[in-house]
Amino acid sequence: MKLLTHNLLSSHVRGVGPRGFPLRLQATEVRVNPVEFNPDFVARMIPKVEWAALLEAADTLHLAEVPRAPTEGYEHDEDFLRKMHHVLLEVEVLEGTLQCPESGRLFPISRGIPNMLLNDEETET
Amino acid sequence: MLKKLKSAERLFLLIKKLFPFTASSSKGKILNEVQQLVNNDPRSWLDAISTWKNLLKLGVREELSQRDAKPPKRKMRENETIIAKKLKTEEIQKIEENHRECQLEEQTEDTLEQRDSTTRRDKLEKEEIQKEVEKAAGAHSQEDLTFRVSCRCTGTIGKVFTSQEVGRIIGIALMKQFGWKADLRNPNLEIFVHLNDIYTVAGIPMFRAPLASRTYIKTAGLRSTIAWAMASLAEIKVGTFVLDPMCGLGTILLEAAKEWPDGYYVGADVSDSQLLGAWDNLKAAGLNDKIELLKVSAIELPLPSESIDIIISDIPFGKKFKLGKDIKTILQEMERVLHVGGTIVLLLSKDHHRLLKDCGGSHMPLDSKGTHANEPGIKKCLNPEEKTDTSERVTSSYEAGNRECSDKMLPFGSLVPVECYEVSLGKTNAFICKYKKSSASGP
Repeated sequence: MKLLTHNLLSSHVRGVGPRGFPLRLQATEVRVNPVEFNPDFVARMIPKVEWAALLEAADTLHLAEVPRAPTEGYEHDEDFLRKMHHVLLEVEVLEGTLQCPESGRLFPISRGIPNMLLNDEETET
Repeated sequence: MLKKLKSAERLFLLIKKLFPFTASSSKGKILNEVQQLVNNDPRSWLDAISTWKNLLKLGVREELSQRDAKPPKRKMRENETIIAKKLKTEEIQKIEENHRECQLEEQTEDTLEQRDSTTRRDKLEKEEIQKEVEKAAGAHSQEDLTFRVSCRCTGTIGKVFTSQEVGRIIGIALMKQFGWKADLRNPNLEIFVHLNDIYTVAGIPMFRAPLASRTYIKTAGLRSTIAWAMASLAEIKVGTFVLDPMCGLGTILLEAAKEWPDGYYVGADVSDSQLLGAWDNLKAAGLNDKIELLKVSAIELPLPSESIDIIISDIPFGKKFKLGKDIKTILQEMERVLHVGGTIVLLLSKDHHRLLKDCGGSHMPLDSKGTHANEPGIKKCLNPEEKTDTSERVTSSYEAGNRECSDKMLPFGSLVPVECYEVSLGKTNAFICKYKKSSASGP
């Protein structure tokens, strides 16, 4: 699971609603993969990123050199884009957990795939 | 390069296309007509065969240089209402253009592309094609060509003749006319003949395997041609979030990521075995970095509202998903997570499609103005002007619709249908439907 995906995920435990975001990340196995750098793609992702969530996740993973916020004119700032590319796309959590910040419910991540299935009592109607 | 046709099932080089044979005439007469297919215009047969040989040679040279050049963008007829299982297309025109373009592109050589598992399969195909070319080239005079006729007779003529009979007649006629030898096991040249009520066609298949079987997909779920067609309707751009909430083996995402690598693709499924299969497919295609997988239920997506740009999905047919409640929830979830202005492309079975239409129709009498403007969900050509002032009316008709179709599917509050195509999946038909989310939102 990449951090860009983590940035999208939210808990859907019953009654939690928007307080289910962001999920707290804990990782026991992380891998860094080189991914082809596409500046256009990264630039378009930046406005969609929830920064607080990203920074929280990046800190948990002890990632260095994570930009704290988009810089002015980031679309042309290759250094910035490369750093973001690394954080969003090249870091992969293979094993770990995601925790709903409101209910405490844990969702396991296994082989890079988070399991967000809830049993019937927990789901929203 | 012809392999880049993503929406076509099989490609044939056309030899002849005629009106269907009239089955009402005597058997002998029809036999005569069949023979005429061959004897009437031998030139056209020979021409077709030399074009075929040339294309094969070009194909080999292309494979050898492992090019990644931009193919001539050919919109594979998305407006066709029925994409038949064996798509016999009149490709001679296009192939000739292609031929010329091939010759031009040959001047520029590209760098070798490294792809582990696909190279293996590509290599096998390359070898096959090379052998074929050698055989064809070896048969430098027409007489040495070995051939086989594959024939299909359906419709009224199918009742008079069996496919084998016609195949045999044509085979004998070809042998007499051109002196070729028949080889049923491993011929140089395969001739496909199809006789039915709509046309009479003879052609040469361009590839051994149907185009629909892709080198980059290990195990296909949905037919890859349909998957590609759906992805192409979805308007994927750079940096769009594309979700398939019931991805199965990931066929749709694979086709999309292959053709439009600039999107961010997320696939979800509830089944471990499907996810494993999808993961294998991704690995085999080298697309692990482009496509993320989640174990998630489509009935409740763990995604914030309005976070996804595009949803493409093959709504499961059949008994597993009860028509009604589950489908309704799934569609509502899809609508919720979609950005305004986002696109949804769905593959629906006939039943689902009918439900959608029926449901929309039931709240027509409740509209005071008697116009069709606030009917979300049926017609293909809606007037955009009327949409702007329908925000309140949409909600009210939605609620009214609520009462009307209690156990049917609810109309989508804000999803506006854009296009709908009927496609053939082989034994059954289905519908590819595209919707856009407008700014009016449902309750």
